[in-house]
Amino acid sequence: MPSTVVTADTTAQTIAAEKENAAVLAESITIDNLLGGGDRVIQIQDIFTPAVTNGVPVPVETTVSRFTYTALAGDQITLGQDEIKGVKCLGAMKVISDVIDASCIITVGYKHDE
Amino acid sequence: MLELQLKPQFSVVIPPKTLQEGYLVTFSSDWPSTQEAIREKTFRIDAVNQVPYDLSYTIPTGDYRDVDFANGGGTFKENIYPENQTSLFEVLVGFKPGCFLSHWYIPAGKSVHNLEYAQMYPDLTSAKKKYLGARTAKDSPYEDPRIKLYLVKDLAPLIMRLFVLPGVDYEKIVTGLIINKCLMREIVAPTDDQKLKAKVIRYYDYLRW
Repeated sequence: MPSTVVTADTTAQTIAAEKENAAVLAESITIDNLLGGGDRVIQIQDIFTPAVTNGVPVPVETTVSRFTYTALAGDQITLGQDEIKGVKCLGAMKVISDVIDASCIITVGYKHDE
Repeated sequence: MLELQLKPQFSVVIPPKTLQEGYLVTFSSDWPSTQEAIREKTFRIDAVNQVPYDLSYTIPTGDYRDVDFANGGGTFKENIYPENQTSLFEVLVGFKPGCFLSHWYIPAGKSVHNLEYAQMYPDLTSAKKKYLGARTAKDSPYEDPRIKLYLVKDLAPLIMRLFVLPGVDYEKIVTGLIINKCLMREIVAPTDDQKLKAKVIRYYDYLRW
């Protein structure tokens, strides 16, 4: 299972790029906010451009929030498959925070549904 | 203890899912007159080449996309058809699991899965009839595709309509194709034995008697 480590940022940070013939499944997420400057709201976002359809001839890039967690200052949490089962990104999997904080470290394990 | 494994009394041989080199095919008389080059003729498969190809579409709930297998420059065309008269493309179609239905039309707008009573055709605006004739991922899984198409040059457009059911915001529909490219050589005067052994490929109209 591959994983990616990012720090809390208000710009979405890429965990896994979009793979055209597969979705990205979250396997685990660890939010290390032990040294963070405050509570942080962390989201997993799914970013993709839908296909041209009969209903939408000119689709635009779309962002869907797939998971949200508030990590308390001084806390560290790990959520495994049982807790985040069903968190699935159709496009790119990204992580975004409500505040920029280099001391809040987020690790996401993921796989493609092949 | 000494044990002697008995010789099996029978074995099961599973035939290949796709046409193989040396196989015979016959195109039945119900092919349209525009297909005179193959209609009511028998061919030997001289070569095969399996080409995998994944198509994927992310579609919002309640919306659909018409996937046209024919060749051309339109947005919905996927250019899967042969360009040579001596080619037959046998295409296996399988789906990864998801919250969607597929409906099939040839040519566009003409479903191959109507019933006989009036109005009994697939209708995506109807809560009930959107399921009429629909094929799902369970019917033809990606790993074990069971939908098979036969494509020849200049065949009328074959349309696969992919519709996302309510219950999800978007669905990514991954369609796995195995395109078995077959090079055909005509047998001008097939024997009775060859006619008997040949796989009969009928036109899609026969599904709509």
